[in-house]
Amino acid sequence: MEQPDTFTTSQEHSQRAENQSTADRRAAIGENIKRLERRANHGLYILAIFITLSIVAVQNFSLLPSFPPAVLSALGKPPSAQMISAALLVYLFSAIILTLARMMEGTGKTGGFAHLGYLAAFYFFYHFSGDMDVHFWAVFAAGVTILSLESYHLWQHCREEILKERALLAELDSLTRKSRLHP
Amino acid sequence: MFRSLTTRAIIPVTVTVTGFVVVCFFLLYGLMKEDATRDAVHYETNLADTVIKSARYGMLRDDRETMHTLIDNIGSQEGIEHVRIFNKKGLIMFSRDHAEIGRAVDKREAGCIGCHTGPVPATALGRMEQARQFINGRNVPVIAITAPIYNEPACSSAPCHVHPASQKVLGTLDIGLSAIPLKETLATMRSRMIVFSLMVLCLTIGGVAALLRRSVFIPIQKLAEYAAQRVRGEQGGEIPRFNSELDILAEYMKVQEEGRKRSAAKNPATGP
Repeated sequence: MEQPDTFTTSQEHSQRAENQSTADRRAAIGENIKRLERRANHGLYILAIFITLSIVAVQNFSLLPSFPPAVLSALGKPPSAQMISAALLVYLFSAIILTLARMMEGTGKTGGFAHLGYLAAFYFFYHFSGDMDVHFWAVFAAGVTILSLESYHLWQHCREEILKERALLAELDSLTRKSRLHP
Repeated sequence: MFRSLTTRAIIPVTVTVTGFVVVCFFLLYGLMKEDATRDAVHYETNLADTVIKSARYGMLRDDRETMHTLIDNIGSQEGIEHVRIFNKKGLIMFSRDHAEIGRAVDKREAGCIGCHTGPVPATALGRMEQARQFINGRNVPVIAITAPIYNEPACSSAPCHVHPASQKVLGTLDIGLSAIPLKETLATMRSRMIVFSLMVLCLTIGGVAALLRRSVFIPIQKLAEYAAQRVRGEQGGEIPRFNSELDILAEYMKVQEEGRKRSAAKNPATGP
């Protein structure tokens, strides 16, 4: 006579565990969607930081204290503007190819802050070579291009992932409805 | 807007091509500007050498009248903004502008500071280091050259005004040419490059967009419209045909539709 009770308890337990697991999965998916929504805007934040950096750079870094002459002489002669421009062109070309390749693969990888570092380095090199006024717009256009492309790629990737997560959520909902109708 | 295939395909192409063309435009323009400025400086250095060589005889004979006439004649040429010779102490000895004769030059000014940074002034500078750019009192952009007049054996042994043989530099010629023609040439080059870049951008982006639309987006749109009609239960209209891989998809849709029609005919209760 105990068996049906035990069975019922076990069934309830299993049902409860299943409900618990569904709730956990739902919470995990919700958390994932929030994380993806936050990540989708990362590219724009990096672009905003780059524009701020460019505003400082266009004033020839006058906001920052200048290096003492001893440090400048220790750094040595800066590379020529032509060499920096050639490096900028190679960097822009490879960064675009890399981003387009990532778009084709469909991975959510991005250069992120590394690009910001490279672009800041170009600004500093032009600043030290004394050619910032001539080449500022080249670095700015390169930065806007790379970071916009990366930002668009990340945003698109996150949107696709959010759609997948929402589809999973909808599937979970329909499973829950079915299990309520046919326990 | 961002959900359509057209937008998703065109945005990366537009950003990539526009960005690359714009960066190339700025880099190329920077290089052309540098080359044009170097050519102008080269021309001015040659002109300064010519002036020094022309004045050599007058300086050897200490013929100040000839020197004044020479400087006045050179200074009256079109495009020459200033021409002056100052001595070792920085006193202007000859100038097109007679009012400044006898005035001392500030060694901290651009054009002088290149040699006078250290306690012992440098006696030789590279061609580009001799040049300086500024806007003069008449609001004209100027590219100027300061060329040292070196001591020669003939100068130190001349009977009139002997310089010691140890003195390397006797004086300096300062000649400035208007940079307006250079700036006008650069402006013309810039506008031509802008037109060329815009044409490249329009052709590339327009070409890619047109090809994608013709070969991919319109066929997909037709298939999608056909599928949407069938989902709504509407009949009629031929399945679209394309001369590409999309025909396989169209064929599959046709087979599915025929299968559905057959099963509807067998079991009319279920309906199409």
